[in-house]
Amino acid sequence: MFKRLSINFLVIVLMLSLSFCLSSCGKDAVKEDALYEEVIPLVPEEPEILPGEVSEQEKALTEEQLREEALAEQREIEEAARREAQMKEEFENVDVHFDFDQFSLTVEAREVLAKKASWLLDHPDINVEIEGHCDERGTNEYNLALGERRAYTAKKYLVAAGVETKRIPTISYGEERPLDTDYNETAWAKNRRAHLRILSD
Amino acid sequence: MRKSAAFFIFFLILYLCHFRFAYAKVYIDIDSPSFKKFPIAVTHFGNLGEAVDREGISKEIYEVLTQDLEVSGLFNLIDPSYLLKTPEDSESGSKDRINFRDWSLIGAEALIKGNFFCNGQIIEIEAKLYDIFRGHFVMGKRYVGKRKDIRRIIHRFTDEVLFSFTGERGVFDTKIAFVSDRLGNNEIYTMDFDGYNATKITDHKSIVLSPSWSTKGKRIAFTSYKRGNPDIYIKDLATSRESRISHHKGLNIAPAWSPDGERLAVTLSKDGNPEIYVIDKHGNELKRLTNHWGIDVSAAWSPDGKKIAFVSDRSGKRNIYIMDSQGDKVRRLTFEVNYSDSPDWSLKEERIVFSSLNDGYFDIYTVNSDGYNLKRLTSNSGNNEDPSWSPDGRYIAFTSTRDKNRSVYIMRADGSGLRRLEAFDGDQFNISWSPRFW
Repeated sequence: MFKRLSINFLVIVLMLSLSFCLSSCGKDAVKEDALYEEVIPLVPEEPEILPGEVSEQEKALTEEQLREEALAEQREIEEAARREAQMKEEFENVDVHFDFDQFSLTVEAREVLAKKASWLLDHPDINVEIEGHCDERGTNEYNLALGERRAYTAKKYLVAAGVETKRIPTISYGEERPLDTDYNETAWAKNRRAHLRILSD
Repeated sequence: MRKSAAFFIFFLILYLCHFRFAYAKVYIDIDSPSFKKFPIAVTHFGNLGEAVDREGISKEIYEVLTQDLEVSGLFNLIDPSYLLKTPEDSESGSKDRINFRDWSLIGAEALIKGNFFCNGQIIEIEAKLYDIFRGHFVMGKRYVGKRKDIRRIIHRFTDEVLFSFTGERGVFDTKIAFVSDRLGNNEIYTMDFDGYNATKITDHKSIVLSPSWSTKGKRIAFTSYKRGNPDIYIKDLATSRESRISHHKGLNIAPAWSPDGERLAVTLSKDGNPEIYVIDKHGNELKRLTNHWGIDVSAAWSPDGKKIAFVSDRSGKRNIYIMDSQGDKVRRLTFEVNYSDSPDWSLKEERIVFSSLNDGYFDIYTVNSDGYNLKRLTSNSGNNEDPSWSPDGRYIAFTSTRDKNRSVYIMRADGSGLRRLEAFDGDQFNISWSPRFW
């Protein structure tokens, strides 16, 4: 009870200070004032009707409503999670590609990295590991080194774009983790990549 | 663990009995341009035991002996069945009495004969080499070992036969380390030079790469992602103990033992770029050898430890370079070929074997360390990569995709005598030929 009182008091103080501020800003702001009145009740309302007063039919209806609301809420959470997952997947699905035996960035690679950079800047709580990969031609050792150069080059671009260096560690997998194991240029082109993998916390 | 222990017990129980010192005479000058294959006859070894040779030991000995002699490329095998009398008849009675004239008549100039005695798991093998042309005994050995050691015993005897003929022991008792993904992930295996006795050495269930034998063959250094990052490990083959010796941030890859067995040349990227360093066997950094914005990787020591061949992309494409062991006097080795990779320095001469990408496929080449006398050894046969010299510099082990999956092959240093060593599933790669173990 005391808590509620203090919150009400806080609300009144807030409203007063707000109306003071708004009145000093001009009359047009009245509508804004009304809007705030709708937003403020953050504390959940106590049910006005006592349980005993509700008819059985109404009760069933309420329960059903509640269930539906809960379901809708659940759906919304799921939908949000799905959107989040999709967004992450879309982020992860696009790789930065390289030419054979090269670790310099092509025009396309820079375009991809620019998008990655802005996404990372929009999601400051997400860290990613930059994996460097190669096609299978040449020794595993050389390709480990080449994969690392690719990961570094991608990292350098992202750091230049303002992504904090500690958010984007690198690792090279050389030719050990191909996306496509066929022996042709299409497969190799897919495999020569810097892959940005979202790190779970 | 057990296997390596057994390996040492084998050495303990094995004793060599010299009947007479090998003749100093060198029968075959393998470097001579007029070199001709030497006609040699091999008999089926006699069974001195009472039991019948149910397990076919005599046949096994014969097969290993003739295989090794064949692989050497030095001999022309004379079929003993050409003899008018069976070998057993003509040699019955005194063991050392050889009817040299009979053997000479069918064209043999040398003869290998012997016998064995099997007692449960223990086997005793006596083998002798005779000079038919001059009519005398040349060299003989007696071996005692376990039943499963028969192949090794015969490999060692053939090593001695080669010594008698050429003045240098063979490499039949050596092993080849490689990486295989036959079980789904990369692990290191070793096998005999002829593909037998494949043994899994690591169990990391991760990415394992680049095995490198230590100079005396007691340890293997390699790269593994076991703990997430590519780190360098050393495995002691006798104790099976593994230690992670280099685990800097970034790459810790491509270990290569120095000829003195005390140091390793490795590639680390801890300073921001893949560079070659020399570390001791505990992982302490001794010296940074390269300092270039490009890639420097895959070091290979010269046999005297004074020079190091390595791969760099400093000219734009990957190529092989040579520097001294302090990182100075860098010069480019390969010019005529593109995308050259994986150098290995012959222990015998100033010759470097490497693979190079031309016309879409990798092939094996050799070149003098001064860049002259480039020779192409493979062509039109899939990708041929990962070459590694045998310790006598007479053979090259490598991987090839000529029979679909990537497998281990050996050939002589001139590209002849090609043999596929195993028929595993999956891909085999990253070859390292062991030194001699004795």
